[in-house]
Amino acid sequence: MVSPGTRTWSIGEALAAPFRRLSSDQQRWLILTLVVIGALVFPLIDRNEGDIDAAANATAFAVLALGLNIVVGLAGLLDLGYAAFFAIGAYFYGVTSSWQLHPEWSSFWEPFQWLGVVAHYQAMGENVVHFTLSFWIAMPLAALVAAFFGVLFGAPTLRLRGDYLAIVTLGFGEIVPIVVRNWPTLTNGAMGLNGVQAPSLFGYSFGVTSSPYYYLGVALIAFLIFVSSRLKESRVGRAWMAIREDEIAAGAMGVNRVKLKLLAFAIGAGFAGATGTFYVAKLQTATPDMFMFPVSVMILVMIVLGGMGSVYGVVLAAVILQLLQSWFLQDLSGWLHVLGRAVGNDWMQQIDLTQSIELIFGIILVLMMLYRRQGLIPATRATKALTLEQQTALPSRGTIDVDLRVVAPGELKPGTAMLEVEKLLKTFGGITAVKDVDLRVEPGSIVALIGPNGSGKTTLFNLITGMNAPDRGRISLLGEDITGLPSHLIVERGIARTFQNLRLFSNMTVLENILVGQHSHTKTGAVGAVLHTHAMLAEERETREHALEILSIFGNRLMPRLNQVAKELSYANRRRLEIARALASRPKILLLDEPTAGMNPAETIELAHQIKSLRGMGLTVFLIEHKLNVVNELADKILVLDHGEKIAEGTAEQVHAKPEVLEAYLGRKVAHA
Amino acid sequence: MTFQDVLIQQVINGVSLGAIYSLLALGFTMVYGIIELINFAHFNVFMVGSFIAMYILQALGLNGQNVILTGFSLVGVLVVALVGTMLLSGALGVLIERTALRPLRGVPGTAAMITTIGVSYILFNIVLLTIGADAFNFPNPMPTVRWGEAGVVLQLREVLVWVVAFLLMACLNYFVRRTKMGKAMQATAQDQEAARMMGVEVDRVVMITFFLGSALAGAAGLIFGLYYNYTNFAIGYTAGLRAFTAAVLGGIGNIPGAMLGGIIIGLIESLGGQLLEVRWTDVIIFSVLVLVLVFRPTGLFGRATAARS
Repeated sequence: MVSPGTRTWSIGEALAAPFRRLSSDQQRWLILTLVVIGALVFPLIDRNEGDIDAAANATAFAVLALGLNIVVGLAGLLDLGYAAFFAIGAYFYGVTSSWQLHPEWSSFWEPFQWLGVVAHYQAMGENVVHFTLSFWIAMPLAALVAAFFGVLFGAPTLRLRGDYLAIVTLGFGEIVPIVVRNWPTLTNGAMGLNGVQAPSLFGYSFGVTSSPYYYLGVALIAFLIFVSSRLKESRVGRAWMAIREDEIAAGAMGVNRVKLKLLAFAIGAGFAGATGTFYVAKLQTATPDMFMFPVSVMILVMIVLGGMGSVYGVVLAAVILQLLQSWFLQDLSGWLHVLGRAVGNDWMQQIDLTQSIELIFGIILVLMMLYRRQGLIPATRATKALTLEQQTALPSRGTIDVDLRVVAPGELKPGTAMLEVEKLLKTFGGITAVKDVDLRVEPGSIVALIGPNGSGKTTLFNLITGMNAPDRGRISLLGEDITGLPSHLIVERGIARTFQNLRLFSNMTVLENILVGQHSHTKTGAVGAVLHTHAMLAEERETREHALEILSIFGNRLMPRLNQVAKELSYANRRRLEIARALASRPKILLLDEPTAGMNPAETIELAHQIKSLRGMGLTVFLIEHKLNVVNELADKILVLDHGEKIAEGTAEQVHAKPEVLEAYLGRKVAHA
Repeated sequence: MTFQDVLIQQVINGVSLGAIYSLLALGFTMVYGIIELINFAHFNVFMVGSFIAMYILQALGLNGQNVILTGFSLVGVLVVALVGTMLLSGALGVLIERTALRPLRGVPGTAAMITTIGVSYILFNIVLLTIGADAFNFPNPMPTVRWGEAGVVLQLREVLVWVVAFLLMACLNYFVRRTKMGKAMQATAQDQEAARMMGVEVDRVVMITFFLGSALAGAAGLIFGLYYNYTNFAIGYTAGLRAFTAAVLGGIGNIPGAMLGGIIIGLIESLGGQLLEVRWTDVIIFSVLVLVLVFRPTGLFGRATAARS
């Protein structure tokens, strides 16, 4: 310990001291303001046209990286052909605002002329159409066109494992430049489009100087940061992250995976398309070589370097890589040449490090993945802090009276089972995992499913929750047939579950996990999330309140850890969190797959009490459990499964008296001894 | 030449191309079968393999097409080149697995796949920066032997490609089905955890899978050079993408499927190039990939894991 009296202050510390006194929020704002001012005055200070041009190009790639970050960083979909969407946008604008196409003039074009999309060109015996689509209209249109192609090629693959998307996008990224090269009437082939019209704003033409493009690029970056951040902290962004963390669990929590993956893919493609118009307007030319695989890799490197899902990290990485390419490698080569001359080394005099940029990209990818997967600036998962009032206003365990009953007692027709399974059959290859099982779970009861390992208990749960489709049989919830529905629709109907081996969204916070649990009964879409509509804000507030109510069931176990990342929790707390997440979906019936597995006796008793209190709150519970003391304590009814068949059903005493049950657990000899 | 002759000729060409793709597809499918990873490094292990083969042949005193060998000396040279290339390529595969991929085993998400892209890029650029972007004349000691007349011609190089590919696939099949290590591989592919509990050393199985896959890629690199008489730093990308399509077509994870898928892709390439224009070949093959994924994601010869989402 250094006592205050003897403490020496370095100049750096002295300068940093006032900064440290600020709260972390203020620090963030200060840095942001400084960066924004720096970005705005940069072209005024550095009057070198070459530098500004490089900076303007860097903005284009930063925007691309932000767009890809939504796809790769948030939704976890590896897109290796991102440059293809960039190309589509670029060529869309290039073709609609240049002389590339110039059909004969006819009356067909008159309405378009009136709209200002084309001009009538008559000179030197020519009578043709000149496409003059405004840049500001082309940009959103190009985004739509690129998004359309994204959906077209994403749809077939997004149903499959994520890996397939990587290869299909790689192929797509390969063929788009080939099509461009081989379709000269539209694209002028390998020679490229020329004379693309520069954007103009209020009569001011952007021309060929770099500054206006630089400012436009900065504005685009700001817009994308805004959109990405808002999406990330919304129902949509959380669903994307849930898919990234654990696709199966996301489905089980009500996330329509195909739809959300397509959305991420289309938004990413749209941003690339819009950037394409910007880039081609700046260069006023487009050739197929500008959109090859190395471009896609470079953008991926930016995301990996900056941190997947990290908005600011990605921008920082784009700037770093641009500095590396435009300045640092050249300077370094220059220094090496000088050094080479000094020591008389020929090789050093000729070295050109700018050529090794792609090698450096490869090395960055590998090193980041091996040693710093979270990137330079890890994606912060800051969920809005709750006020002390919010946290303390809720009752703690024991006095809680949250009504989890989502079915009003009057709504139930007498004699209708909460869950009914009839003649359910599932085989895997030659093995019958579930064989003609019938069961009923009455509303408001706790039913336990027991049986030796491999007896088909988890398979039965998987069939009920839509993870696997049964070969035969019928599953109904409150009399309604739900057989064969996909898992996200089953949650919506009111069956929630937990998993035997815990499937939390490990890199999301406790609160976020529970918010994802509420996915199926919330509505906010991407537009609402970005615009912060009234309905969205209200919904967000409501889901947060509900999350706190749910967490209060576990008293002070999870409540103080709201903003902790799930993987940092203790094992028992992770088990509790998974139950809380399932409860958040407002289920009618809760399926628990070995909820107390791995818990010590005290924790087991605590959880058993909590499960019991869930029933008190009106919930129906169906659980798989191995600990017979828990089962005997909780269950109104016990079902025993062996080799996929139901061999016994009844109260604890009835079931334990059955010789078949003893036999299943202990073996024939012991049971008959 | 009649149309029929052209067709037969293109089938001969297609099967030869297909044999190269099959060898390459096997590496994709084996690695995917064991650790569910698309190994993009495989693209350029193939490319590096063809350079290794070139240097071995040059070291054996062969340069360009000037030295023509026959009989035992020809077979001997080819066997030495094949074995040497396969050993070195296989070692490269093991090196990649040990240094870049093993530390990421069990890390969820896209990390391992991104690493293989990085490794692929590193290999590609090292070759580009050190050896250069030229197309290199690949040594070929085979005499020009042709069977057939003006119409359909079968050359020795094609027969060689078929024989080498067939022998390697037969060996692989024997290895996977009959040997203890092969059975350990099958077990690991089905259920890694269960295999581990039964005493299978999973790390060793993965290492051997990479060795075999990369060795086959090296062999493909050698016969690519012998077939086309050139090699270049950029051959990995196109061939790799086609071979991957072949693996998907055959049902990824399915070894005989990859062999057949390769032949089918080779035929599509040669016949498609004949019927349409060569410059659209990549578009045709990409369309095949997308169509297979839409209509039969488990591939023609299926394996359930492919469709799991």
